[in-house]
Amino acid sequence: MSAAAPSVRGGAGVRLDWWAPALAGLLAVLLAAATAEIVVDGAAGHSALIPKSPPIAGWLGGIGERLGYRVFLIAVLVSVVAYAGLLALARRARRSATRGSTISTRAALALIAALHVIVFIGPILLSTDVFSYIAYARMGVEHGLNPYLHGPSSIAGDPVYVYVGHDWRDVATAYGPLYTLLSYPLAPLGLVGAVWGMKVLALAASVGTLALTWRCARARGLDPLWAVLVIGLNPLYVIYGLGGAHNDLIMLLAMMTAVSLTLARPGGGPEVASGATAPSGGRPAPGARREASAAAAIVAGALVKATVAALLPFMIVSRRRLAPILGALAALAAGAAIGYLAFGIHGIDVVAALNRDAAFVSTDSFATEIAHLFGKPGVFPVDHDLLKAGLVIIVAHLLWRTWRGYDWVAASGWALLAISVTSTWLLAWYILWPLPLAVVTRDKRLLVATLAVQALFIVHQCTPLLAPVA
Amino acid sequence: MSAPSGQLGGSFGRGLPGWARPREEELAGAGRTRLIETTLLLLVGLVLAIATVNDVVRQVHVNHRLVADLRSWRQYTGHAYKNLSVEQDFYGHTTRDIVCGNVAPGAPKERTQLCLVLSGPVVAGRRAARGGFYLPAKVEDIRSYRYACYGSARSAGLCPR
Repeated sequence: MSAAAPSVRGGAGVRLDWWAPALAGLLAVLLAAATAEIVVDGAAGHSALIPKSPPIAGWLGGIGERLGYRVFLIAVLVSVVAYAGLLALARRARRSATRGSTISTRAALALIAALHVIVFIGPILLSTDVFSYIAYARMGVEHGLNPYLHGPSSIAGDPVYVYVGHDWRDVATAYGPLYTLLSYPLAPLGLVGAVWGMKVLALAASVGTLALTWRCARARGLDPLWAVLVIGLNPLYVIYGLGGAHNDLIMLLAMMTAVSLTLARPGGGPEVASGATAPSGGRPAPGARREASAAAAIVAGALVKATVAALLPFMIVSRRRLAPILGALAALAAGAAIGYLAFGIHGIDVVAALNRDAAFVSTDSFATEIAHLFGKPGVFPVDHDLLKAGLVIIVAHLLWRTWRGYDWVAASGWALLAISVTSTWLLAWYILWPLPLAVVTRDKRLLVATLAVQALFIVHQCTPLLAPVA
Repeated sequence: MSAPSGQLGGSFGRGLPGWARPREEELAGAGRTRLIETTLLLLVGLVLAIATVNDVVRQVHVNHRLVADLRSWRQYTGHAYKNLSVEQDFYGHTTRDIVCGNVAPGAPKERTQLCLVLSGPVVAGRRAARGGFYLPAKVEDIRSYRYACYGSARSAGLCPR
C-alpha cells in the first residue's frame, strides 16, 4: 500500500520490518481482487447469490463466470483474512508511531475508494431489498398507492414486481416515512435509473459515514485512519451493505451525523486529548443548538430505519439537558406531521412495523443457533419473549452505566449490538450497525465484540464450503 | 451525595441536584462493574461460538446425508434424475430420510413416484434403503396418497393401510 521502508524501531519499541509495507500491499491487492471476483462473477448472472435484476452491469457480464457458493465463500474468506491482516498491520504500525511507512493515509483511502468503486459498478449483490425499496417508491409515485397499506403484489403489472423477493411481495414497507419520501424522486427514473439512484444513495451515505467517522475519531483524540479502515475495508460492510445498496447505510449516516454534532467544537481540535477512561460525550459540552440538532438527526435516522432510535435515550441520559429532548420532540413532530400528511396514520405507526418484523426468524440468527444447540427445531414464541426481556435488561444496565458517566456513544453501540444479537431475524447488514460507534469510543471491548459477532456470522455462512460435492 | 469535580455544568445541568448532574468520568466502582461485564461478555461469546460451531456441524451432517441420499436413490433406481424431493429429519432424532423421484422421465412429480426410506450411516457415499412406497403422479408426499409400502416403511406404518 505504500513505498517500502527500511526496518525501523518505533516509539513503542516495535520493530517494523522491511516486509510490512510489502505485506500490506499484497493484502490490499488480495482484498480488491476478492471483491472484484464477486462483482465480476456476479455480473455473469444466473446465480442464487445474485438477485434477478434489470441489466445494470451487463458490460461486465462477459468477463466472469457464474458465481457459485464455493467461489463466493472463498472470496469472502480471502477478504476477511486480508482485512484482518491489514488491521493488524495498521495497529502494529500505529503503536510504533511510524504508520506512514507501512500504510500511508493516501494509500489506505485509495483502497477504500477502490473497493467502493468496484462494488458500485457491479450488480446488486445478495439481496432483493433494493427492489422492494423501488417497488414502494413506484407504488406511491406511479400507481398512487400507499406503501404503508399495500405490498408490492398490488402492482403486479409493474416492471419492478418480478424482481421483488417472494417473501416480501405481500408485505407493506417497514421503513420510515422520511426514507420512503427520499426514494420517491427515483421512481420516475425507470427501473434501471432507480436502481442506479439507489446505488448512488448508498455510495453517498457510505462516503458520508466514513467522513463523519474520521471527524468523530479525530474529535475524540483517536486515530481517524484506523477508524475508517475498520469500516471501509470491512467485507460485510462493502460486499453485503454497499453491494446490496441497503438503506442501513443512510441510517448509519444519520447516526454518525448525530455523534459528530455532539462532539464538534466551534474552535476545532480534539475533544479529548488523552485519557484511559471513557468520557460521557463532548467536553466541554457543545452548544444547545448542536445537541438539539444531534437529537433531531437521530430522529431523522429513525424515520429512515427505526433501529437508530436506540441512541436517543443514551444521549439524553448522558447530556441531561433540555436541548436534545426539545430537538428530538421537534423533529419527531415534524416527521410525524410529514408522515401523516403523506401516508396517513399508517405512515407513522412504527410500532406495528417493528412488531411485525420482530416475529420473523432467519436461519442465520444466533437465537436459532442456540435453539438448535438445545435440540429445539427453531425459535418459539416464548423464546421471542425471553429475548425481548434480555434486551430490556441489557438496555436498562447500559442506561444505568450512562447515568453514572459511561460513554453514551459506546452504550449506544452496545445496545445496537445487543439488538442484532438478540434478533431472531439477523441479516449481515444488521451487524454493521454498531461498527461506526465502536471505532469512535475508547471502550475497545465494543469493537472486539462487534468484529467477533461478524466473524461468527461469516463462519456460519461458510457451511456450504464443508459440504460434499453432489 | 455531594457534587464531585467530574460533573459537567450545562445550563440545564446547573439546575440539577449534584447527584443528577452529567458526569465527566464514571463514578467509583466502574472498574468492578467492568470486570463483571467483561466476564459476562466472555461467557456470552463462548455460548454464541459453541452454538455457531454446533450449527455448522449439524448442517454439514445434514448436507452430507442429503448428498448420500440422492446418490443412493439414483443408484438403486438406475435413473440419474436431478430433480428429486427429500424429506429429512434435520434435527437428528432419527437417521431416516425419504427420497422420492419419478419412475419414468418427466417433469418433477408428473409421473408416478418411487420413494425410498433411507437410514443408517453413510458408507462409501451411500446409505441403505430399508423400505419404500409409491406415490401417484402430481401429488405431494402426504400419507394418504402413499401405497405399496414395503420393508421399514410398512413396519413403521408410513402408508395408510
